[in-house]
Amino acid sequence: MTTTWRVIYALLGLWVLLTIAVKPGLFATQLISGLVYGMILVMIALGLTLILGLMGVINFAHGAFFMLGAYLAYAIVAQSGLSIWIALIAAPIGVGVLGVLVERFLLRRLYGTEPINGLLLTFGLALMIEESIRFIWGSSPMSYSADILTEPVPLLVTQIAGIRVFTTIVGIISVTAIYLLIVRTDFGLSIRAGVQDPEMTELVGENLPIKFTFLFFIGSALAGLAGVLRGAETGIDPGMASLFIILVFVVIVVGGIGSFFGSVAGGLLIGTAMFLVPTMLNTLATTTGISWINLQGVRRVVPFVVMIVVLLARPRGLFGEEGFLE
Amino acid sequence: MSEKTQTRKEQFREFINGSLSIAERRIDVAVIAGLIAVAVAMPTVASVLMGYPGVASNVLIWMLFAVSFNLLLGYTGLLSFGHAMFLGGSMYIVAIVMTQFGPGMIVLGIPLALALIGLLAYGIGRLIVQKGEIYFALLTIAFGEVVWYIANSNPGGVTGGDDGIASGLLPPLVESYRGILTIELGSFIVSIYWAIAAVFVVATYLLFRIVRSPFGRTLITIRENEQLARSIGVNTRRYKINAFMLSAVFSAVAGIMLLIVNQSVATSYLYWETSGEVVMMTIVGGLSSFAGPMFGAFLWFLGSEFLSGWQAIGALRHYWQFGFGLLFIIIILVEPRKGGWGAIKKAVRWAANKLLGGN
Repeated sequence: MTTTWRVIYALLGLWVLLTIAVKPGLFATQLISGLVYGMILVMIALGLTLILGLMGVINFAHGAFFMLGAYLAYAIVAQSGLSIWIALIAAPIGVGVLGVLVERFLLRRLYGTEPINGLLLTFGLALMIEESIRFIWGSSPMSYSADILTEPVPLLVTQIAGIRVFTTIVGIISVTAIYLLIVRTDFGLSIRAGVQDPEMTELVGENLPIKFTFLFFIGSALAGLAGVLRGAETGIDPGMASLFIILVFVVIVVGGIGSFFGSVAGGLLIGTAMFLVPTMLNTLATTTGISWINLQGVRRVVPFVVMIVVLLARPRGLFGEEGFLE
Repeated sequence: MSEKTQTRKEQFREFINGSLSIAERRIDVAVIAGLIAVAVAMPTVASVLMGYPGVASNVLIWMLFAVSFNLLLGYTGLLSFGHAMFLGGSMYIVAIVMTQFGPGMIVLGIPLALALIGLLAYGIGRLIVQKGEIYFALLTIAFGEVVWYIANSNPGGVTGGDDGIASGLLPPLVESYRGILTIELGSFIVSIYWAIAAVFVVATYLLFRIVRSPFGRTLITIRENEQLARSIGVNTRRYKINAFMLSAVFSAVAGIMLLIVNQSVATSYLYWETSGEVVMMTIVGGLSSFAGPMFGAFLWFLGSEFLSGWQAIGALRHYWQFGFGLLFIIIILVEPRKGGWGAIKKAVRWAANKLLGGN
């Protein structure tokens, strides 16, 4: 078994080297695009993982929160003519407030019941948010300008759009902030204690419901922020929620459900794989002369193949813990 | 082992192996009569409530799809979010056989589709059926997406990519007059609806027998308490795989009928949102009873055909799914298992008690 895997890893490495040798420029561009895309996935996945890992609720509406962030930014920037900076603050807060309402009035009633109920309820909620967005803003794709963020930024062998650099920076800051919040603060400590033993934690005087609500606010706002950034980069349409929520589910399954590092690693892995695999297939096709290898639209299926492979090798994902949600 | 567990085990054993009483055998006749009544009444109901009778065969097909889906969710306790791959997959298999080898080959395409869908479900089931319920739901979405991708990427030009397949799908014996399909055997001409209705009655009755057989009772036992089921000697993994496979094959039957009625197949039938639709139908109808999902499918069509054409609510009618989503959320909060059908049963029982001065 180990020999087989070593051979597979060696072949994969050779293949990557071949691609770098044949198409260095394209490889670099795709790698950066993949990492930026992965950063968006990480930001959405982090909120989902926080809520899932700590409250045991799998939030199907998380993709709709992401999309709502982008549409609120559209309303602020394109419809009201305000700056993108206001959207970057206000839209996530708006989404976060919606998340809090959802948690307080809907999900709270389901704690302690089967986890499937939370999944189903938020699925219905996602449908309602999507229908509302179609009702308010229509179904056609739209975009909003991110003014100074659209300028290209030179970077070693290539240059990339400023919004992508900005997305990466914001992503790194959010990941670090969430990590510090959970691991280094008293707040994070009480949350982790509450997950271990809710009764005892409340007994020593912690107000857990309020803290969980706050956590839901952070998770939802993060999805909203990712939405604003993604919308500024590529535009918005009502299909973006269903596309991204599925990808993010794949990310957290690959990373290991409920694992913080899992969602970061999973997001970056899926993002880069989605952009590099087509390039690598393309290189292989041109060097070997076998044209059918260059599969059309293979990007859409890469995440699922990665997931199936990862799960076959490691049934609980890359960083998954035994017994979690099983 | 405690006394209580022991008795629960005994109860489960008895429940699984118990034979049908005479009263329960009478239920069979009632169920068949009920299914036939639904099938006979549907065209009239559809034309009164939804404007035109043509939708009746679609309603029956989705009823069958929802009931086969519920074999998994309601009876085994497994939530599949990828059931569209079985519905749409069988449509594609039959459509490909018909376009590649001629419409007459539908006689080969149908058994091939059933076999391949069964095999697909078996393979996927083997891989994922023992994962936790959340994993299971997410993995079924993922496999559904892979199937969707394959159809969308148009391998060898057989699936038609984004456009799907829409020509060369008229099987022999079926004639089309301005979109109305009939079956012609010599001078004997009958609407295709009655063929669909016949398959619906037979397939749904088979599913009813399955859920009441020792196999079905074992599934209920697994749903109620998987550890205990294992401890009385049930190979729960095998039962879950088989339930997944059976559910897929009956979904494939629904898919094949959908292909014959619609004369076309597109990738939207494979998309995970179609899987989501059947989940919603089942839960809104009520997954704790056999008839619930059928009722839910009916409500869904009532929503899509009636509400979406209801001028009185203005432009809001295009967003009827919002209302369905709301209903869905209320049901999850109030009574996740009983649904609309449970509410109706409760109301009827209450009314009967009132009227008969009951006990």
